[in-house]
Amino acid sequence: MDFDFLPEEQKFADEVEAWLVDNHDDEVMDHHRENFSQLSDTPERCAFMKKLAAKGWLGMSWPKEFGGQEIEGVYEYILNEALSKHAAPQIGKGVGIIGKTLIRHGNDFQKNKFLPMVLNAEVEFAVGYSEPEAGSDAANMQLKADKVEGGWMLNGQKMWTTSAHFADWYWVGARTDPDKKKHDGLSLFLVNMDNPGLEVVSLPTIGKDTTNQVFFDDVFVPEEYLVGERGRGFHMISEALDLERFTMFTLSPIAHRSEVLVDWVKEATRDDEPLKDDPNIRQKIAQIVTDTAVAKALSTRFVCAAKSGGKPPTIESSQYKLFTTSLSQRVCKDALDIQGHEGAIMEGQDDAPLRGRFEGAYRATVNETVGGGSSEIQKNIIARRHLGLPKNF
Amino acid sequence: MDLDFTEEQQMVIDMTRTMLEEHCDTQVVRDAEDDPKGYPDALWKQMSELGLNGLLIPESYGGGEQTTLEGAFVYEELGRAMAPTPHFVSCVVSAKLLLAAGNDSQKNAWLEKIANGDSILSPAWLEPQRGFSAKGIAVKAESDGKGFKITGRKRSVAYASSADQLIVLARTDAGVDLFLVDPNASGITMKQLLSQGREAQYQIDFDGVSVSADDRIGAAGSGWETWTAVMQEAVILLAASAIGGAERCLMETVEYANARVQFDKPLGAFQSLSHYMADASTSIDGGRVLVHEAAWNAAQGRSVARLGPMAKLFSCEAYRETTRVCSQIWGGVAFTIEYDQQMFLRRAKALQLTWWDTPYLEELIAADVLD
Repeated sequence: MDFDFLPEEQKFADEVEAWLVDNHDDEVMDHHRENFSQLSDTPERCAFMKKLAAKGWLGMSWPKEFGGQEIEGVYEYILNEALSKHAAPQIGKGVGIIGKTLIRHGNDFQKNKFLPMVLNAEVEFAVGYSEPEAGSDAANMQLKADKVEGGWMLNGQKMWTTSAHFADWYWVGARTDPDKKKHDGLSLFLVNMDNPGLEVVSLPTIGKDTTNQVFFDDVFVPEEYLVGERGRGFHMISEALDLERFTMFTLSPIAHRSEVLVDWVKEATRDDEPLKDDPNIRQKIAQIVTDTAVAKALSTRFVCAAKSGGKPPTIESSQYKLFTTSLSQRVCKDALDIQGHEGAIMEGQDDAPLRGRFEGAYRATVNETVGGGSSEIQKNIIARRHLGLPKNF
Repeated sequence: MDLDFTEEQQMVIDMTRTMLEEHCDTQVVRDAEDDPKGYPDALWKQMSELGLNGLLIPESYGGGEQTTLEGAFVYEELGRAMAPTPHFVSCVVSAKLLLAAGNDSQKNAWLEKIANGDSILSPAWLEPQRGFSAKGIAVKAESDGKGFKITGRKRSVAYASSADQLIVLARTDAGVDLFLVDPNASGITMKQLLSQGREAQYQIDFDGVSVSADDRIGAAGSGWETWTAVMQEAVILLAASAIGGAERCLMETVEYANARVQFDKPLGAFQSLSHYMADASTSIDGGRVLVHEAAWNAAQGRSVARLGPMAKLFSCEAYRETTRVCSQIWGGVAFTIEYDQQMFLRRAKALQLTWWDTPYLEELIAADVLD
């Protein structure tokens, strides 16, 4: 048992930390963007990703034949935690869900075309699974993919595609085989976002940024952009989520919020008395730091399970996601309760405590227990696959 | 980072679990409840023979010289079995107090006997209407020139009826001090108070009990510091036992939820119930890693001033909440004496209330973070 990083892992963590301090840029790293800080959606952020690529930090865990270094996933974990701690863009979907799925299941054309672009930070992806009738019931996707000469014709609608307004390529699940069982009738496609049949409609949120609806009107996708085996789409999506769920909700932003709150409480006063002497506030802080330590413990559990190889750390990642996203909301709620009436002053104004960091975070974290598999879905996974309870829906 | 056990650690875990399955089934646990002695000799003998009583005591005193990490593994098993033993008060707290501050003659007199199970020591700490902090120590030890006279009332002294020595926390002119006291000394009266956890515990009145200056553990006025340092590490073991108890409670409930049918389907097929169990398992699995992290840090010689209290705070609440939802799943039978569920439920709450309760732990953590 060992709760420290290995010396070489620690050396890498120190190197990344020093590099991020040296390369700090307010345009690129902004804690007020909360979860949206992980996206590279501006020219400055894309330039930052190119610098990461030049460091050789993209695709570190990939096989050497595809330009990776074949080193353990823990290095990508260290990198992503450091990036998210600094509110910088993260290595994200290209290296993770999409790159790794292409390496496992993609054809040579796809590997040759997309993997170098990912390694060089030359492509941004959007992921399209959700639809109006496919939320938690992800296998119920209805986006139609009809076989046509030389490829597929896609018609229908996607929901909640976060990156659609700036992405280059769209990673999309569509129904190729409506006569088969719903889990076996889906296939994965890569669609060029420039396709004239795509319409991206912005859907503003109470969080920090927009998400999108995407409409497909006779979107033609050439045959070579069907990923993996026809009909295996849902299985590839599940497999990738099992492996990558962890990277979607890094711990650092939550740990960082706890630290910001603690530092604020140490200095703040109310009615001329130090806030930190209030027993109710002391109690809340104790609970927050303890729960944050448990979230870290669950992430350690996930990382160790992933390191040991064998089966994907499905249970560990579900437990981590369930606990951590709920904690994330709790920290924001407690922070606002601690700040009292001033907590409600809207973010972005200098007169708000911490410029409204927690007012904004309270809104931004609402979706954490929904996106990437809702808390209820995580509980179903834990109940069935970990505890061996029967199917409950 | 690595959460695996070594082969030796796995052996200790397996050996402890096997022994407890044989010598500490729930009938054994039931028989010990409210018993004035409170633990079965057969179990205690087994623990001594397997080296568990000396686990944390140096080899030079006949112990196994293992760390708090191995201690945590064993305590998870003791908690799983709800084992009624004076191990914690004697082989952990008393032994650690002596090791931390005792002089050679005190250590030579007691540590080997603690390690082989021949002697039992128990701390006399808590007092009526008083809390867990140093302010809670009002029992007086007044100097009479040669030694001290101890006067006052202690509560929750576990296994006092079997104790060969008590370690009494008392207030002196110098502050709080620890004294080795013979429980048969004149001026001592004991009364058993039944408790929710149903372990043997006593209220003890001290009426001018004489102790010699040689019976003080450590330098004058150093007692509270010694006590706090020992407790920070010791509570990690109680946290481990909470995880063990919670996990067994949950596993027995999962088994029941798969077997018991209502509305033509097993209870576990109801989402409201399966989600209770999923939440409980998440708290237990997360709490276990936090306990291991605290124990590992203690074993590395690092401070556990924050991690120790966090481990106990979280694990005891995880245990309590697990027993609450599990009782809900069992339904009416959980309310009966006949079923074992109630044994977990009572112990979980009692464990949360003793050896630093929730508000005290929260304050320790807050002070470490904020002050």
